Amino acid sequence: MAHIVIDENRCKSCYLCIAACPKGLIKKSAHVNKLGEYAVEFCDPKKECIGCAMCATRCPDLAITEVHK
Amino acid sequence: MLVFETPKAFKKDFKYSFCKGCDHGVAIRLIAELIDELGLKEKTILTTSIGCSVTMYDFLDLDCIEAPHGRAMAVATGVKRARPDKFVFTYQGDGDFASIGLAESLHASLRGESLSAVCINNTTYGMTGGQLGPTTLMGQVTTTSPKGRNREYYGYPIRIAEQVALCDGTAFSARVALDTIPNIRKAKAAIKKAFEVQLKGLGVGFVEILSTCPTNWNMSPEKAHERVRNEMMKVFPLGVYKDITEE
Repeated sequence: MAHIVIDENRCKSCYLCIAACPKGLIKKSAHVNKLGEYAVEFCDPKKECIGCAMCATRCPDLAITEVHK
Repeated sequence: MLVFETPKAFKKDFKYSFCKGCDHGVAIRLIAELIDELGLKEKTILTTSIGCSVTMYDFLDLDCIEAPHGRAMAVATGVKRARPDKFVFTYQGDGDFASIGLAESLHASLRGESLSAVCINNTTYGMTGGQLGPTTLMGQVTTTSPKGRNREYYGYPIRIAEQVALCDGTAFSARVALDTIPNIRKAKAAIKKAFEVQLKGLGVGFVEILSTCPTNWNMSPEKAHERVRNEMMKVFPLGVYKDITEE
């Protein structure tokens, strides 16, 4: 099943992954991480992720550590 | 099925020190992916420069040597001549490669050393606070050009990939960008080619990467990529300027 793994403590809240995801499955988190940033979180209740890895390709901080297809 | 994971060339528990949205992170990841794919981790000697690019040896699990400001290509020449069995590449910013180190960079290209070089062009000196650099665009306001770059006082920006391509010892020279996903994939292909020409002993493989500096440009990461597309690419067109493997 396609999904991604996010290391939220690497995220610096540039939000480039939110624009990159073709399915709109990445959202801003409501709590701050260890860097004091509102990190992103993966939200896929309908199992829409296709494992395209565009979010991981775009992320400049390697906060998206794994993509499964 | 695992389609993406953090490259093995990175140190465990590394932490990028770059500002949010900085394209250095993407460029270093592409290099790390290629080192994994080409199986170069054990035979690489990385030559770093001065600037934001210097921090690269904090992140990658490679043998590294630090060069004085601008002299990365000169130091890399010595390393490669002493150890021709090693894979040697430099990672530099535009100020390091094309201003302070222009003589070293171009003469290494003219000598046709078996080296690869990656140059990050963000039109400013990022680490030191956004001063005017050799690639600063005409009219661009920086901390040392408060009224914008003009011809009378500062002269014109340098087109690095074209200059390196003019050198007879250059085997490959290209300019790429990291503003969109397709361009990131093209950038990886270009860096791979720059690495391969060294492995074949054909000469210098050079890639200039149009990158962002959201902090010193006072822009959001998204807006900074728009500036790369709308302003930088008009002055610095993307493309392959020399490729002797195609000729």
